[in-house]
Amino acid sequence: MHAALSVILFTVLSGMGLGAFAIVAADELARTFSARADALAPWNVAGAIALALVIAGLCFSTLHLANPKNAWRSAARFRTSWLSREAVFAVAFLATAAAFLGARWMGVAAGARVVLAVLTVGLAWVVIVCTAMIYASLKPIRAWHTWRVPLNYLLLAHASGAVLIVAILDGTAIAMQPLRMLAAGLLLVAALAKWEYRRYLAGDQRRVTLESALGVAHGVRGAGAPATVAARLLDVGHSRGTFLTREFVVTPTPVRQQAAVIAMWLGVYVLQLLWLWQGTRNPIAAALAIVVLLSGLLAERWLFFVEARHTVRLYHGERRV
Amino acid sequence: MKTPIETRQLPMPNDAPKRIEYSTCYMCACRCGIKVTFEGAKLRFIQGNRDHPVNRGVLCAKGSAGIMKQLSPAKLTKPLKRRAGTERGAGIFDEIEWDEALAIVEARLRKIRDTDPRKLAFFTGRDQMQALTGLWAQQYGTPNWAAHGGFCSVNMAAAGLYTIGYSFWEFGAPDWDQTRYFVLWGVAEDHASNPIKIGLDKLKRRGAKFVSINPVRTGYSAIADEWIAVRPGTDGLLALAIVNVLLTDGTIDYAFLARYTNAPWLVICDPGAADDGLFARDHERRPIVHDEVGGTLTGAVTFDTKPALFGTFTLADGRLAKTSLSLAAERYLNPQYAPENVAARCGVDAATIRRLAREMAKVAFEETITLPIEWTDAWGHVHDSVTGRPVAMYAMRGISAHSNGFHTCRALHFVQMLLGALDGPGNFRARAPFPKPAPPRQLPATAPAHPRAPLAGSPLGFPMRPEDLAIDADGTPKRIDKAFSWQAPLAAHGMMHMVIANAVAGDPYPIDTLMLFMANMAWNSSMNTAGTRDMLRAKDANGEYRIPFIIVADAFRSETVGFADLVLPDTTYLERYDAISLLDRPISEADTIADAIRHPLMPPDRDVRPWQDVLVELASRLGFSAFVNPNGTRKFADYRDFIVRYEKSPGIGFLGGWRGADGKSALVGAPNPRQWEAYIANKSFFEFHLPPALQYYRFANRRYLEFAKKAGFIADIEPIVMQIWSEPLQTFRLAGLQQYAGPRPADAADRERLVKYFDPLPFWYPPLESQDRADDAYPLHAITQRPMVMYHSWDSQNAWLRQIIADNYLYMNVQTAAAAGLADEDWIWVESAHSRLRCRLKTMQGCEPNTVWTWNAIAKQPGAWGLAADAPEATTAFLLNHLIAEHLPGGAGKFSNSDPVTGQAAWFDLRVRVTKCAAGESGVSPAIESLPVQDAPARLRWGNP
Amino acid sequence: MKLGLVIDLDTCVGCHACATACKEWNGASAISGPLTDDSPYGADPTGVWFNRVRHYEVGEFPGCKTINFPMSCLHCEDAACVSVCPTGASYKREDGIVLVDQDRCMGCNLCAWACPYGARELDPASGTMKKCTLCVDRIYDQSLPVEEREPACVLACPTHARHFGDFDDPQSKVSQLTASRNGFGLLGELDYKPVNRYLPPRTPPQAASPAPAVASEGALARLIARARAAITG
Ligand SMILES: Nc1nc2c(c(=O)[nH]1)N[C@H]1C(S)=C(S)[C@@H](COP(=O)(O)OP(=O)(O)OC[C@H]3O[C@@H](n4cnc5c(=O)[nH]c(N)nc54)[C@H](O)[C@@H]3O)O[C@H]1N2
Ligand SMILES: Nc1nc2c(c(=O)[nH]1)N[C@H]1C(S)=C(S)[C@@H](COP(=O)(O)OP(=O)(O)OC[C@H]3O[C@@H](n4cnc5c(=O)[nH]c(N)nc54)[C@H](O)[C@@H]3O)O[C@H]1N2
Ligand code: SF4
Ligand code: SF4
Ligand code: SF4
Ligand code: SF4
Ligand code: SF4
Ligand SMILES: [Mo]
Repeated sequence: MHAALSVILFTVLSGMGLGAFAIVAADELARTFSARADALAPWNVAGAIALALVIAGLCFSTLHLANPKNAWRSAARFRTSWLSREAVFAVAFLATAAAFLGARWMGVAAGARVVLAVLTVGLAWVVIVCTAMIYASLKPIRAWHTWRVPLNYLLLAHASGAVLIVAILDGTAIAMQPLRMLAAGLLLVAALAKWEYRRYLAGDQRRVTLESALGVAHGVRGAGAPATVAARLLDVGHSRGTFLTREFVVTPTPVRQQAAVIAMWLGVYVLQLLWLWQGTRNPIAAALAIVVLLSGLLAERWLFFVEARHTVRLYHGERRV
Repeated sequence: MKTPIETRQLPMPNDAPKRIEYSTCYMCACRCGIKVTFEGAKLRFIQGNRDHPVNRGVLCAKGSAGIMKQLSPAKLTKPLKRRAGTERGAGIFDEIEWDEALAIVEARLRKIRDTDPRKLAFFTGRDQMQALTGLWAQQYGTPNWAAHGGFCSVNMAAAGLYTIGYSFWEFGAPDWDQTRYFVLWGVAEDHASNPIKIGLDKLKRRGAKFVSINPVRTGYSAIADEWIAVRPGTDGLLALAIVNVLLTDGTIDYAFLARYTNAPWLVICDPGAADDGLFARDHERRPIVHDEVGGTLTGAVTFDTKPALFGTFTLADGRLAKTSLSLAAERYLNPQYAPENVAARCGVDAATIRRLAREMAKVAFEETITLPIEWTDAWGHVHDSVTGRPVAMYAMRGISAHSNGFHTCRALHFVQMLLGALDGPGNFRARAPFPKPAPPRQLPATAPAHPRAPLAGSPLGFPMRPEDLAIDADGTPKRIDKAFSWQAPLAAHGMMHMVIANAVAGDPYPIDTLMLFMANMAWNSSMNTAGTRDMLRAKDANGEYRIPFIIVADAFRSETVGFADLVLPDTTYLERYDAISLLDRPISEADTIADAIRHPLMPPDRDVRPWQDVLVELASRLGFSAFVNPNGTRKFADYRDFIVRYEKSPGIGFLGGWRGADGKSALVGAPNPRQWEAYIANKSFFEFHLPPALQYYRFANRRYLEFAKKAGFIADIEPIVMQIWSEPLQTFRLAGLQQYAGPRPADAADRERLVKYFDPLPFWYPPLESQDRADDAYPLHAITQRPMVMYHSWDSQNAWLRQIIADNYLYMNVQTAAAAGLADEDWIWVESAHSRLRCRLKTMQGCEPNTVWTWNAIAKQPGAWGLAADAPEATTAFLLNHLIAEHLPGGAGKFSNSDPVTGQAAWFDLRVRVTKCAAGESGVSPAIESLPVQDAPARLRWGNP
Repeated sequence: MKLGLVIDLDTCVGCHACATACKEWNGASAISGPLTDDSPYGADPTGVWFNRVRHYEVGEFPGCKTINFPMSCLHCEDAACVSVCPTGASYKREDGIVLVDQDRCMGCNLCAWACPYGARELDPASGTMKKCTLCVDRIYDQSLPVEEREPACVLACPTHARHFGDFDDPQSKVSQLTASRNGFGLLGELDYKPVNRYLPPRTPPQAASPAPAVASEGALARLIARARAAITG
């Protein structure tokens, strides 16, 4: 699939923001049910940054629309469209998240804060899942049409969110060890899920062939005809590009693909774990960690698109997708 | 989960008033009927005319994209004159007014006509108005006229017309409704573009078998029930092997051969004599047969004569004579024609060849059709039914575009004769005005009695013997293209592909003005394209162009327009009057005689004029006898007026419909001043349905022949006898043998060719290019195919069609490529003995392993056709023509790369070798300089309200 | 109603007439025209088409078969392209036709992603998604002669390889053809329930049982004898 930068930035930033905000809200709960009493302010800053990321992401997403003047209609198909749902819940999330932060700032009564916290966490998760389901619901794209996609989105959102929070709170008096453990834990699980996902990608499950796309899987002459025969594209019927080739028939060069894979493993997982493990507090290192993380995530999301093969590619000559 | 249903209001359609017009398509030569819808002034939709005999409502991709042709930025807008001081071919012009343009042409042509009319060479391409251009040339008095036939398919026309009286190409069609077995030889698209497609569907519905013989499996061959991947140039051998099987099995139509062919005619066997191999004739010059009943030799053949098909007989003068069929049988029963002995060469195994022959025989003789139609044969005998041997064949350029195409095509007709499968139900049938005598009685006229006089007749015709050639006493060709010379005696359609080379060489003589109409001779219509372009620029010692003046009449910015000294811009097919005449290539179908018109549906938005009007204007100014009154005043206001009032012979004009003052007579009748109106009222075509009794066996159908004489199709009411043994060919062979009592070639090389190639019986020889070279030097046959969506050079300007094909590859069989270490998308050198070019490779399964092919005429000169200089057509597409030499290697440039009998251009004889380019070598070569690029829109939103 | 097309792979010669006729009719149609073409005379000619014809080969030389394969919207019964559309621009009508409401589309491409068949193309000029309309503005147009109330591609097709009709009506030509010729749908495994059906190439007519081999010796003599019998007899 064609990887639109706007969509990559959207999913990466909003994912990270939602994950981070979920953790901030969860922290609220942790406080109510434990005797913790460290400073709120830094946490609120983290929450504000997370919220900003979500908003930034949503802004990027509109750049992807060819006819944005109709974007306001995007809630119309709530009943069936994950994109509608995402839009609706994203707005709901922004509202509650803002309310939650405000409540904490103004020191509103604990009860209300807890309710808002629960709501925000829930909405954050729903939005992440909606985004993931936009892809996971697409049958023509084997790489996406699997439970693995929402799982990976959830894990990466929270892992990257956790790392973000560590980086933000790094400079404060707050005790970082538990947070580092949390981030590291999330990263490890996310890495595991990613590894499993890539094994699935490489594997053969639910592949579709050109022969079945053309209906010649059982021979050219339909019923009672010769056994399966190999098909191949002779002429695609247009000499230069079409919307379909630009959108679906993009294939990364092996070199770039390999580079992206390495960048992903290093940037999102390995380097982050090292940084969390070495533990010394250093604002520059923290900032660097986030830059590295973002580039790793961009690589990860780029791969998510370019490695996905749509069934339309069959009609353009690919033997299997 | 079923998708939920919604009901919504649809946007309102355009409510501008509709105007519906009927005319004839011109996106190719098929000439389908079109129904054109205008919304207000806007051209909205072009669809097929359901009532039209040619296309019955359907329309091809080109026809459906006509609107984009109308919108082409390459349309010429004003007369153009090459800017003084600029070089020919640079394409730099000054716009001039029509008055000036016509004055220039008139002055020049008058001067030539007054001195030496031969010095005007007027050649036209794939146009549809040869009746008018031919008449114009004849009236002007130059023999140097022809249309595209010589480089197109004259092999089919000549072989058919010399053999059966009608032919493949536009002069006959398969009986799609009744045939049970259809064999298609070497056709990708053809002129009958839509009729063939409609027909193939009919066959498939009826479960008739469709066999395609073609080295490449695309298009029609894709849907064939059986595909025979023949090796290019070997069809003749394949056909004669089929003959061998039919004769061996004895499965032939004896009665048909005896009655309708010259099988029983006695051929004089007197080696060395001046009449050896000619027919024995009686005192009335009637050919003699042996009557099995009376046991006598007679020239008076009646219905009751029972002529011997085989045998050797002694003539009155004591000499021996054999029947045509004896001579044929003796030859084709020779083991050299046995399937086993041709299989390897044709790339078709013996069992398959045998099966094909026997399937045809089975269908012909066991699935015979009998129709309860009473008809009268040429001898006045009434039959109460018509029998059909429902095997039909059709063949085109896969046969004709080889230097052995004439004989190959004769071999196909011989198979049809043996099966008795001609013009009967289910056969390949004639299209009016055919059949005509084999060959038609029309000899090429060569020179006017005196300047300013017309030629005695058409410059083209059908020589019967050496005396009929267009040569001087010393054998020098009289025509610039050397048609009807010893080098191409039966060049019935001229040899347009040789005009430029000969004119530049001043051989046989220099010319003054070359006038080209609808011919892209600076590109896809020439062999050795790069070389031809240099010739067009070539200058003599004192810096004068070797072709002093070039006039091009075109509607678009073609490559040839770039070489013009004067450009006369034409209208498009939606803007002018045209007559698709029976005097030209007919659109008739087997059962219906038809012609059609075009009429202006919209006014031109440019300063252009219909070429037809320009021709009538010039003819009037120059005072052609047929175009002026005795007192010298002009006869016809314009083309529209000419079509209505001109009579070729009393009662016969360009259009056959609604003749007579009252518009009530068909085909023959006085001029009808309201004829155009009548056509327009009848959806722009005229159809005359032949009654059943006149539909079959027309070559020997008394009532049809009488009708055809009245209609002016034929001169006299005589059976048209099919020619197995061809006497005209034998006369030329005798001349080659120096036995002929008449003109003989002085040059040994000419004599040798006549002896070898003027065999009175069909025979097979390797295509000439292959003869001179060992196969391994250039192991691959290189051919082209018509893409169904492109008409020669002129659809690259079509914004829709070029999205489908803007680029071409060389296609090669997968295994062949693998063996040569070649892969898809490789840049390759394709090398012929003449030249080499660079292009890209694609592999496929459906390609005969010794064959490579590409789509025809996709590449374009940069800047031509309104395209950007970096258009794929100019940067990655390639033109195979660069590799094809216009002369044969032997004979020091004396012999053109053509069929030695008809002069048909041998496009498909080309042999090449293919090698991978060195790393980094890419881009097309040879590179051609760019014409000035025209500005064209970067985005089209056609239909935008 | 379940309107759709039947496409006969046995007669389709791959001429692209259906594709250009479609472009011609729909380009000037109020439903979703114009169909923008970019670089129409330039280096990279490209445009919006509702119907594209591709060409494939099946099997190996010499037993290979070339198949011409036209594709347009199959007007699926389970049309994910509609359910995923957030704005509601894409919708399915009572007669089964799937349309895009040009006034509501925001050009997010999601429907194109959801279509396994590549039947939807985004128009860069309008920023909206476009697709085969089944010529909804022809098939019901009372101002057209009855026999012309058919999709443009069906009218044009020179081999009559395209048929239009109601698959819910067992008597309709499309239902009958599908039944008698084993019409099949594409990519059944994705379960979109496409309405359009493709007819596989027919099995060729039975070849003649080759007559027993005939000796070539004495062929001429036999021939002469048979000829005399045929002529005089
Ligand atoms: N769309 C479209 N239609 C056209 C034209 C066009 O340019 N475009 N041009 C028109 C003109 S001018 C003409 S003359 C006609 C020509 O119509 P066609 O006769 O169809 O001409 P080609 O496309 O040259 O087809 C030649 C076919 O013969 C095959 N072939 C080549 N060599 C051999 C051989 O040795 N043996 C056999 N059996 N087959 C062989 C090729 O593979 C190809 O399929 O088409 C007319 N119609
Ligand atoms: N390699 C190879 N070469 C071939 C062939 C092949 O099969 N292979 N085929 C050969 C054959 S069969 C033929 S017939 C020739 C094609 O022979 P041509 O007829 O020379 O080729 P076209 O490209 O059709 O050129 C026709 C010209 O007519 C112009 N034209 C179009 N419409 C109009 C109009 O309305 N009025 C006027 N005045 N001009 C118009 C076009 O702009 C174009 O310049 O090509 C031959 N060349
Ligand atoms: S075949 Fe196509 S281009 Fe040729 S006349 Fe018919 S519709 Fe026009
Ligand atoms: S018009 Fe008919 S034959 Fe031509 S490509 Fe379309 S479906 Fe096939
Ligand atoms: S073919 Fe594609 S666009 Fe058409 S209905 Fe099915 S899914 Fe939707
Ligand atoms: S592109 Fe238009 S029609 Fe398609 S899903 Fe988006 S809004 Fe709906
Ligand atoms: S039905 Fe109409 S819109 Fe659909 S492909 Fe055919 S012509 Fe195009
Ligand atoms: Mo031609």
